[in-house]
Amino acid sequence: MNKEIIVIGGGASGLAAAIAAKEEGRDILLIEKESKLGGILNQCIHNGFGLEVFKEEYTGPEYANKYVQKFHESKIDFLLDTTVLHIDKIENGFEIILSSKVTGMKKVTCQSIIMSTGCYERTRGSISIPGDRPYGVITAGSAQRYLNIDGYMIGKKVFILGSGDIGLIMARRMYLEGAEVLGVAELMPYSNGLTRNIVQCLNDYNIPLYLSHTVTEIHGNDDNRLESIVIQEVNQSYQPIPGTEREFSVDTLLLSIGLVPDITLMDNLDVEHDLKTKSVKVNQAYETSVPGLFICGNSLQVHDLVDNVSMESERAGKCASEFVLAKKIESNESIKIKAGNNLLFVTPHYVDFAWASRETVIQFRSTSKIEKALLTVSQGDKELLSKRKSFIVPAEMETFTLDMNQIEKGSDILVNLEVL
Amino acid sequence: MEKNFICILCPRGCRIKVDDEGTITGNFCKRGIGYVQTEMTAPTRVVTSTVRTIYKEIPRISVKTDIPIPKGLIMDVMQKINEAVIDKPMAIGDIIIENILDTGSNIVLTKPCLK
Amino acid sequence: MYDYVVIGAGIVGSFIARELSKYNLKALVLEKENDVANVQTLANSAILHSGHNPEPNSLKTKLCLLGNKLYEEVEDELCIPLLRTGAYVVAHNNDEEQKLLDLVETTKANHVTEYELLDYAEACKTEPNLAKSITKVLSLPTTKVTYPWEAAFACMENAIVNGVEFKKNSEVTNITKSKEGFVVTVNKLDNYHTKYVINATGVNTDDIAAMVEKHVSFKIKPRHGEYYVLDKRVKGFVNHVLYPLPTDLGKGVLLTPQIHGNILVGPDSKWVDDKYRTNNTPAGLEYVKTNAKHLAENVPFHQIIRSFAGIRATSDQDDFIIEESKEAKGFYHLAGIDSPGLTAAPAIAKYLVEDIMHVQDKYSINKEFNPIRFKNKEFGSLDYEQQLEFIKKDPLHGNIICKCENITEREVLDAINGPLGSNTIKGVKKRCRAGAGLCQGGYCEEKVYKLIVRETKATPLDVCYDGAKSNMFVSETKVK
Repeated sequence: MNKEIIVIGGGASGLAAAIAAKEEGRDILLIEKESKLGGILNQCIHNGFGLEVFKEEYTGPEYANKYVQKFHESKIDFLLDTTVLHIDKIENGFEIILSSKVTGMKKVTCQSIIMSTGCYERTRGSISIPGDRPYGVITAGSAQRYLNIDGYMIGKKVFILGSGDIGLIMARRMYLEGAEVLGVAELMPYSNGLTRNIVQCLNDYNIPLYLSHTVTEIHGNDDNRLESIVIQEVNQSYQPIPGTEREFSVDTLLLSIGLVPDITLMDNLDVEHDLKTKSVKVNQAYETSVPGLFICGNSLQVHDLVDNVSMESERAGKCASEFVLAKKIESNESIKIKAGNNLLFVTPHYVDFAWASRETVIQFRSTSKIEKALLTVSQGDKELLSKRKSFIVPAEMETFTLDMNQIEKGSDILVNLEVL
Repeated sequence: MEKNFICILCPRGCRIKVDDEGTITGNFCKRGIGYVQTEMTAPTRVVTSTVRTIYKEIPRISVKTDIPIPKGLIMDVMQKINEAVIDKPMAIGDIIIENILDTGSNIVLTKPCLK
Repeated sequence: MYDYVVIGAGIVGSFIARELSKYNLKALVLEKENDVANVQTLANSAILHSGHNPEPNSLKTKLCLLGNKLYEEVEDELCIPLLRTGAYVVAHNNDEEQKLLDLVETTKANHVTEYELLDYAEACKTEPNLAKSITKVLSLPTTKVTYPWEAAFACMENAIVNGVEFKKNSEVTNITKSKEGFVVTVNKLDNYHTKYVINATGVNTDDIAAMVEKHVSFKIKPRHGEYYVLDKRVKGFVNHVLYPLPTDLGKGVLLTPQIHGNILVGPDSKWVDDKYRTNNTPAGLEYVKTNAKHLAENVPFHQIIRSFAGIRATSDQDDFIIEESKEAKGFYHLAGIDSPGLTAAPAIAKYLVEDIMHVQDKYSINKEFNPIRFKNKEFGSLDYEQQLEFIKKDPLHGNIICKCENITEREVLDAINGPLGSNTIKGVKKRCRAGAGLCQGGYCEEKVYKLIVRETKATPLDVCYDGAKSNMFVSETKVK
């Protein structure tokens, strides 16, 4: 089989990218490993989705359904229950090995790939929480799936480590399903979740938020099920302060300690990595350092709003289409976009003048909460943009657009946030 | 008794205080006053949850209140939702419980239940 | 009436079970845990040592060398995977180089024939990431790595096929002497009569011994050790087992390549009172991190996917204790089997059966004994053409359950339904590694529990992670 574009992943990102590329008339195959399109949105049954894209508030499944319907109307080819095992770069494109129970293993080729593989949850192992290793210590997203899709409760006495949005949402969900939610511990002195989730998921139900606290001990029973945890306050270098131990008898510890872009399928490809986003570097067309290999959504950078995922992926889809139409877009010259003061990261990482017709949508996160800031974008001595911003927080990704006509070849672009 | 609120209308998240006399302080803009007044007099929330189905492959289907309900009724609404069972194929937006607890809100499916 | 009751189904008990099955006798293995290989065999470095450092002329040395060779035999017979890494023992300065030369003397005295002293530059040719502070290296080419769980499963499966009985969840609570031998009580309930008893209970050997002896001649002093697991993406960062110089506390913090591409970092070594608690501690993990830096430059700690800890059943004596009880004839102890216990296990079994118990003089050879235990190659380890063949034979290989490690539905089903099948999440992970990768089960745990439900005709509420009451779920939603 040979396709113009293969989209890997049928969640919010893949659906939007595929629909956008199909609108341009491309021949597309979308591959989804689960038995359903829509991805993680299917288990995010809470509301708050779609305000940007649809100007209306939807739940996750409703938002997904909008795109799934459009996807089906667009008559795009897709495979469900199919896992991509391997990607190879070949001349004029890619060769993909995929596998499923029904079709067995197959090689398919394409001119361009859009990676929309989402992200996975950081686990206990990745942050080395001390203690026993019983069951009941589980990532919030897994517990969410068991609760909302399968209809099963991991436990009835719950503590949550990490104030990421999924953790907050799950605090409320478990409470509403009759569990006792004893608290949320956050290592940082500020919450990592959206304010509305702090208010509507914790404060509404009097669930305490312990800032500058972490879990320092885990006890399992003889059968290897969680029995209790200990939390401790941490100092400025995040080290536990002796004497601040507090024990909670719980059967569940939900982990909401961060999401990591899932880019393992690109391990054997010559892509340039970004240690900050834990993903790969892209130009303004969402193209990686491998020509024709595009990436978008949470596999490029972890978003806080799905609306941004959809819009970003749509742009990536259009670019992939343009790549196929042009047969091959040779990079003629590119300049770097650098994250300056107070910026955790910035995407894209390059402006490539081969894609000069594309607008450059820049997204970034700050390293800390800033009340009043001056956002400046400069190229050498030339200022491209200067804008006052209020209330920039790491939990909310910031977006702005650069006019390509302003950008010249030569020196790099610097994105800077000054505290006012 | 002094009451504390965090305004959620913008990312700033103003910590707003209301004292015994009803004096509102800590809000950066006027919208904060409106937010706190609503929260104090008639706070409402959209409730999202799941209901049982009789289908083994889709044991639960997600639902929501189609308009916000009074915050004080959340647990009562949950109880009604927990009692509901879907026993026929239904579409997204279909009503499972009409005018729940006389709130004027309906419990509607947020996912199609296709057998 | 049994001829032999083996208590304990770790790697030692499993090899003994298989060795006994070569004779016409009736043997029973009792395991208190819900699975084979669940305590000391569960958590260790997985190394088959060359025999370079135990005391010359000790049992440890003799059985380590023989054991290392015997793994070469069982590799094919039992499909036990071996990774022929070789090892480097490293020295950092003049003082340590002197100690390394002493170690060479021990190595020679132990009849380890293959060894070589390398200077730093030579060693770097095969290990480019060696720490720059290293000056000399003792190369030990016969050091290997295995997969301890698989090794134990393989032996026990083969023993079962050849007539040995195995009972899990069977804790020995009492042993009394009888006219014919012993009565072994399990779970305070069931009695098993046997002529002989073999005590292969690791950290519990002194407790079990106390059931038949007034004065137990040894005591277990549990030694706790912690590890980090690095993701398989680090494969090739080091290719040999890297040891520091051994100390009184053991072989020290190592870097050990694993069968599936991961690297183990650890262990530390702490005397503890609690025989059973295998918790991780901040101090232990920090110690491991710090010391690993003396072995290699820029150890990729950002690729940590898990930490774990294990208990070594060290005794108050230096050597392995493999002997008949002085107070209870027909009762045999295998105590103090710490490192190199995994390496020595096949040799320990032979030594016990032939040299201590003289089974060959008491029972005839089992002519039906089938030494072969077959297991399919891991799907993920095959090339494309081989994978196509597998799928052609069995379409269930086409369905990837664990996408981090490319574990197929067929492999999960074999883990559940195989001769030593398991219906727990942890049991399935031990057998086919679903959930052992980068996401630690985030993607596949749901699929695995649903397959357990389907295959064992259970409900989700029945599925346990590990022990009998470690149910994944406490209730359905929507119940009062």
